[in-house]
Amino acid sequence: MSQSLAKKCNEVKERYDTCFLKWYSEKYLRGIGAVDNNECSALFKEYSSCLQVALKERGIDKLLEDAREDNKENDADLSP
Amino acid sequence: MKVFSNSETFNYSWEEVSTANWQKYCPWNEKSTHVVAVDTISRSVDPATGILRTERLITCKQTAPEWLKSILGAGMEESQVLETSYVDPAHRTVTMVSANLTFSSLINVQETVVYHPLNAHQTQFTQDAKITALCGGWQRIKNSIEDTMVKRFRENAIKGKEGFESVLAMSRRVFAEEKEREKMGLIREQASNIRMAA
Repeated sequence: MSQSLAKKCNEVKERYDTCFLKWYSEKYLRGIGAVDNNECSALFKEYSSCLQVALKERGIDKLLEDAREDNKENDADLSP
Repeated sequence: MKVFSNSETFNYSWEEVSTANWQKYCPWNEKSTHVVAVDTISRSVDPATGILRTERLITCKQTAPEWLKSILGAGMEESQVLETSYVDPAHRTVTMVSANLTFSSLINVQETVVYHPLNAHQTQFTQDAKITALCGGWQRIKNSIEDTMVKRFRENAIKGKEGFESVLAMSRRVFAEEKEREKMGLIREQASNIRMAA
């Protein structure tokens, strides 16, 4: 698996990535089970809260907001 | 604005390609060493369409040539890209749209990658990148910046294909081994059940 930009998030990221990959290949692609609230949700929450701190520290959170704004058109086209 | 387009065929099923795509920048890929980190920022599934939308933050080591770095400003060791991807399981497509977060007031790079199945064993990859230098001033400098980026895309496209091929090969092997292990586990379990019954 790839690294996180914040070293302290690596351990939980690894666990989340492994969980997601298993869910994606074994359930999502086969249309099995609940989609949004699945077995990886709790891990993602943990990973996310670790990452949010790192993004804020680096000032990336603001850049992300701008990029999201610019991507709205793609969202409308690709996930109508 | 300059455009870079490319397409490739991978001799793997769409399911394999779309799964390995999540591991594209792992240590199995020795060709993408400029990618130092990949973080998932958000992820959700649309309940109506089943489309999986993911935002990933991709952190790269700065590889811009020295003259371009001096225009962009020194001290930027890392640059970031936001990749928003959409997996559509009904139409069996993966679409990824990437935009640069760093230097976004100077250069705008918009890349779209689509993976779709050609048949049960082959997947088509198409890539389009639009590069626009936004800095005011001489057209000649803008052209040089755009040309440099297009050249970089061309070089990375070759490395990207080679790197992803090795991830796909490794992924197929690991999945096969896992299946084999599960099968062996099942056989052992059955054997012990039979012994217990006897």
